[in-house]
Amino acid sequence: MKEHKYNLFWILGTTVPAVLFLTVVAYLPIFYAVSISFFKKTAFSATMTWIGLRNFLWIFEDGDFWAALGRSTFFTVGSVIVQLLWGLGVALLLNRSFRGQTLVRSLFILPYLLPTIVVALLFQWLLNQEYGVLNQILMQLGVIQLPINFLGGLQTSMYSVIGSVSWQYSSFVALMLLARLQAISPKLYEAARVCGAGPLRCFWDVTLPNLKSTLVLLALLRGIWMFNKFENIWLLTRGGPLKTTETLPIYAYRLAFEEFNFGTAAATCTVMFLVLVLGSIAYFKFFDPTREVEVGR
Amino acid sequence: MIPAPRSRRPLMILLFLVLVVVAFPFYWMLLSSLTPRTVLFQPPYKFFRLDLSLENYRDLFFATEFLIYLKNSIICAAGAILLNLFAATLAGYGLTRFTFPGKKQFAHGTLFSYMFPPMLLAIPLYIILSSLQMRNTYIGLILAHMSISLPLNIWIMWQYFQIVPISLEEAAWVCGASKLRALREVCLPSAKPGILSIAIFSFALSWNDFTFAFILQTDKNMFTLPIGLATFVEQTAIHWGMIMSSAVLVSIPTFALVFFLQRYLLSGLRVGG
Repeated sequence: MKEHKYNLFWILGTTVPAVLFLTVVAYLPIFYAVSISFFKKTAFSATMTWIGLRNFLWIFEDGDFWAALGRSTFFTVGSVIVQLLWGLGVALLLNRSFRGQTLVRSLFILPYLLPTIVVALLFQWLLNQEYGVLNQILMQLGVIQLPINFLGGLQTSMYSVIGSVSWQYSSFVALMLLARLQAISPKLYEAARVCGAGPLRCFWDVTLPNLKSTLVLLALLRGIWMFNKFENIWLLTRGGPLKTTETLPIYAYRLAFEEFNFGTAAATCTVMFLVLVLGSIAYFKFFDPTREVEVGR
Repeated sequence: MIPAPRSRRPLMILLFLVLVVVAFPFYWMLLSSLTPRTVLFQPPYKFFRLDLSLENYRDLFFATEFLIYLKNSIICAAGAILLNLFAATLAGYGLTRFTFPGKKQFAHGTLFSYMFPPMLLAIPLYIILSSLQMRNTYIGLILAHMSISLPLNIWIMWQYFQIVPISLEEAAWVCGASKLRALREVCLPSAKPGILSIAIFSFALSWNDFTFAFILQTDKNMFTLPIGLATFVEQTAIHWGMIMSSAVLVSIPTFALVFFLQRYLLSGLRVGG
């Protein structure tokens, strides 16, 4: 009996601080945010009025919301595809021994760990219309005649943002894939080669099946994170020019902190969260990473 | 070193091109930060130059509030590290050493919070901290940073304490040590790598954070580095050389981290899979 009480003291003593912090800084705020999406709540009124689903109806009738959802989808799918392809290419190139490989691999870790503000400032400078070095290189190579306004142009802004974000986050994909590549037994390749498979055949029949479950999981993780991205886009373009890069997080930010309408902003975030949950469930149903047959452990 | 066989040469060229894409922005950031203002606004640029100067760094330190932002960033990061270490280490210990109902759900719930859009946290935190008069304070921002770092830190420590064998503590108990003493003198030292990694993680999240600081800190004296640097671009005459020098300085912890951890990171790669 005494032992039991002693254990209870330890259980409470160790977990209460974490539970308390999480409740105060995460669970309560999220609960509060979801609940204010059912209220009329602006920064100018201290009171909250229950209005049911009217915030949701309001955003569903707003053309900007649907446009932002479309841009979010394009940004998410586009940047995930670029990151997976670039990351896979880098991982395959790094998965061999060469002189200075430690240095090179460390270099590839860097972009992912850089503060976003650094990446944003750097790309604003590299892509600058007047003084940007990328425009200079392209003009010297004769690819373009006039400098391109990468971040400020209506046609180019979204692609520039996707490029910048992919430069930053591809290294995460590359590192995860590299780790998986190194776990593939060399015997599998030997066996394939003995059977007369060329490099392309080896990649298709040995490498890719082994990477499949990692790729499926990475696409989901990166997709969730890209869908929620705020600061990268905000710092590069503020959602402009003419809203061409205004995705859902930026739309929600504008509602909350430029129009001070917290109710509709919270409703937007709640919808985003539901989209992610339903999307993830559908994704798992479709791909089911656990169904994967384990090859070559 | 034996020269690469012929079939490998195209691959090495490809690797070199990829390397340029990854490394050139870093090189350009450093070179721009060392270029005097007069040269920087006269394109076309040369890609190698030796007429470097520290003028931009001087401007940054003496003509801007960079040092105030730096102080604020350091205080917030230190606070986030301390509170995270305290809460996550204890929770990780408790979750692995005792059985109680709801344990699994608690541990899994911490990861679930990773799906929440940051805006879903930032908006209520803004309202709550405003009504408590805690916006533009260090503790407010530290708590906001904990909302993103603590869940994963608990998860890491929970995983980590699982590989610290309980037999070590049992041996200490047999020798008459109290539970607290066993925790302090046996368990915590063996969990040092885990503790170090959550300290680094808490630091990185706090140091890199833009969204929460941007929404919560509106007083210029309370700006952290990311939001302070963002204001440099909004000024009328954009001083790109100085901005690049600030970017170089803010990335120093990242470079240091990769430099010190490269052995660990790469050996981890080889084992992990």
